[in-house]
Amino acid sequence: MTVGQIPEIPQVTGQPRKVARTGAVRSGDLPRTSMTARRHRAFYMFTSPWIIGFLLLTIGPMAYALWLSFTTFDGISPNWKYVGFGNYQELLSDSVTWDSLGRAGLFAITSVPLSIIAGMGLAVLVNRPLKARGLWRTLLYLPAVVPPVGAGLIFKQLFNRDSGATNGVLNIFGIDAIAWLDDPYARYVILMAVLWAAGNIMIISLAGLQDVPRELHEAARIDGASAWRTFRSITVPLLSPVLLFQAVTGMIASVQTIMPMLLAADASPKGVTSIPQSNYMYMMHVFAEYFALGRYGYGSALLWVLFVLILIATGLIFKFTSGVVFYNVDPEAKK
Amino acid sequence: MHAHPGAPPSRRRFLALAAGGAAAGAAALSGCALSTAGAAPGGSESVTMMVNLDDVSPELVKQAQKEIGVKITIVAYDITRLIAMLTNGNPPDLVRGLGALDAPYFAARDVAENLDPYFAKSTVLKVDDLDPANDLWRFDGTTQGKGPRYGMAKDFSQDAMFWYNTAHFDKAGVDYPSDTDPITYEEWLDNAKRLVQRKNGQTTVYGGSYNGLGLGILFTNLTAAAGGSLFSDDFSRVDFTSPEARRALTWYVDYAKTRVGPSLIQPNPDAWDGPTYVASRMAMSGSGYWLGGMINAEAKVAEVSRLAPAPVFEGGPRISACQGGTGMWMPKKARNKDAAWRVFEWFFGEAPAKARAEGGWGIPTLKSLQSLMPDKEDYQKRVLEVQRAELKHFSVTPFTPYIKTEAIDAIINQIIPAAMNGQLSVDTLAGRLNSSVNEQMKRGKEQVG
Repeated sequence: MTVGQIPEIPQVTGQPRKVARTGAVRSGDLPRTSMTARRHRAFYMFTSPWIIGFLLLTIGPMAYALWLSFTTFDGISPNWKYVGFGNYQELLSDSVTWDSLGRAGLFAITSVPLSIIAGMGLAVLVNRPLKARGLWRTLLYLPAVVPPVGAGLIFKQLFNRDSGATNGVLNIFGIDAIAWLDDPYARYVILMAVLWAAGNIMIISLAGLQDVPRELHEAARIDGASAWRTFRSITVPLLSPVLLFQAVTGMIASVQTIMPMLLAADASPKGVTSIPQSNYMYMMHVFAEYFALGRYGYGSALLWVLFVLILIATGLIFKFTSGVVFYNVDPEAKK
Repeated sequence: MHAHPGAPPSRRRFLALAAGGAAAGAAALSGCALSTAGAAPGGSESVTMMVNLDDVSPELVKQAQKEIGVKITIVAYDITRLIAMLTNGNPPDLVRGLGALDAPYFAARDVAENLDPYFAKSTVLKVDDLDPANDLWRFDGTTQGKGPRYGMAKDFSQDAMFWYNTAHFDKAGVDYPSDTDPITYEEWLDNAKRLVQRKNGQTTVYGGSYNGLGLGILFTNLTAAAGGSLFSDDFSRVDFTSPEARRALTWYVDYAKTRVGPSLIQPNPDAWDGPTYVASRMAMSGSGYWLGGMINAEAKVAEVSRLAPAPVFEGGPRISACQGGTGMWMPKKARNKDAAWRVFEWFFGEAPAKARAEGGWGIPTLKSLQSLMPDKEDYQKRVLEVQRAELKHFSVTPFTPYIKTEAIDAIINQIIPAAMNGQLSVDTLAGRLNSSVNEQMKRGKEQVG
């Protein structure tokens, strides 16, 4: 019997079901349809809070944003109007939009692989037998539980040109202070902030590593495979579903990153526009259009375009990795 | 086809039920949304104020309940939340705002209540007792400073004035600015260059800070100080290419380029001047009298701190405008206007207003309270004397109703760094600012109608 299959109710041949005078079926002697119905009801009861929440908090706002994207609504002025696809047409010729999207894309294709490599590297290290392994795992994971706002504040202070510890250390070696939070260095500070929190990826990769059968490694060792070969030919393929998951979720999160805003001197609607150009990514542009310029319609169009682009990018990732991701079970097998 | 009793709901039916549940949930959430006004438990009136949390402390809320019998609910000021509340017709009863910038914007969109009838019958806030600074909250449909009153300032400053630390001036051998005659902006910048202290590429003491309450309002005032106007007569366009606006832009870009003080390309780690100045890491701060509230709390800094008149441009008029006029306004759809007005009167004219006046956090906006400004210490007397002399030059620099201050700042923030880094000439900068700001103002004008 496979998981999720409904157990059959045994029936005694030739013995009629006992029915009370009222005609009700006695408990413990339920007909199969009734049991199935109960299971279905239970399923729907348990999933309905999520479904209702999804409709209320995801589909509803998305539909509202879609409607807004066809208007010039600014949240307050009386004379807003319906402009059809006007906002989408404007978006196509808005260089700030494409530049910010390009920066977000560049950030995704650099930060995602780097953080996966860092997280997996850390996972490999703390998966080995070493002293105080639990302590190491905890220490390496800790930055990941620091709230992003806290992380932003830490990095803002660390890299401030005039009062930051980073320049203090550089000064010891006779190096003049660097304006880390300005162009062109600001992008590296964001990357460092992302890598600093690679503990999340480490934990997931660690769980994946511990699921790799030990006998495969032993067999490879007996066959004379080197550690690198074992890692490349056994560990990585078996971790590939985990890596795919991290790549997809990492890509989605990184194109929507708000870390530049947390590093801004003034994290307010107008302050977001003072972010150095190299960190002025797509979500900064969206935030500025919504809350600094009050262009709810145009901002909504930007969000819808991003949503569609993320869907396409996710689909492409799945398509191009379908042949290289190794599943223990066939994901296409009929249930 | 109907399902027979006991059969599981179909997927379609389940989704329909879920949608129904979501709709019911939405209604429930809407019902649970913050109730902005009405009767409080115990029979007293309830008023919701959207303010910064340090504007109205929990102690002040208790005091209001005790003194005027109104229960105040505080909602932290957040422009996005305010717009959401205005949109769903459930706004707070009183909202924080900057008279210089917010008054024309909200009044033009017909969301602010005309308070003239309330002032007319008030025995606490008498019109002839109102300082002219409150005119920032007036708007006649086109021009700020005229027409009905839509709010009131809690206190004000002439924000182009500047504080300076005599210890840094002594150390650098720079003459103190006069208490009565303004220095020029060029002299201010020269002083800042001599006062700045650097070590290993790090700025240890800023020579001076001059950023106003935002770059939009700063350029409005600098252009006026150069003898021009940033806005067209009907406030529907800006012109950064006029000689006066270019002069203002050139001066500010030079200020940023020399890196004598905080700017977009050299952000202040403290985020604003107050803590930096009080820590003696800033020789001059372009802040008005209100910063005295913070300075007076640090006796050592207060003793070496002086206030100087607003600088002028060579050949330009002497003006000293208020760039803020922080106060409150009442949304037109406020639910409990009479109780809100009672709180308004109490906050602006009774115990809280007196406490603010005595603290030195700005000039009281009621003339009758101005005698309470702190003058016990010699340095306070000196500051007060300079401030009183400066009041003769007070003026209202009107702002446009067609663009939010955040929007004009946002546009400037995006374009000006290139000029500060020497990658853009002031002429090109002016042209780009005109193009982007005017495009946004055109949209604003269409929406106001």
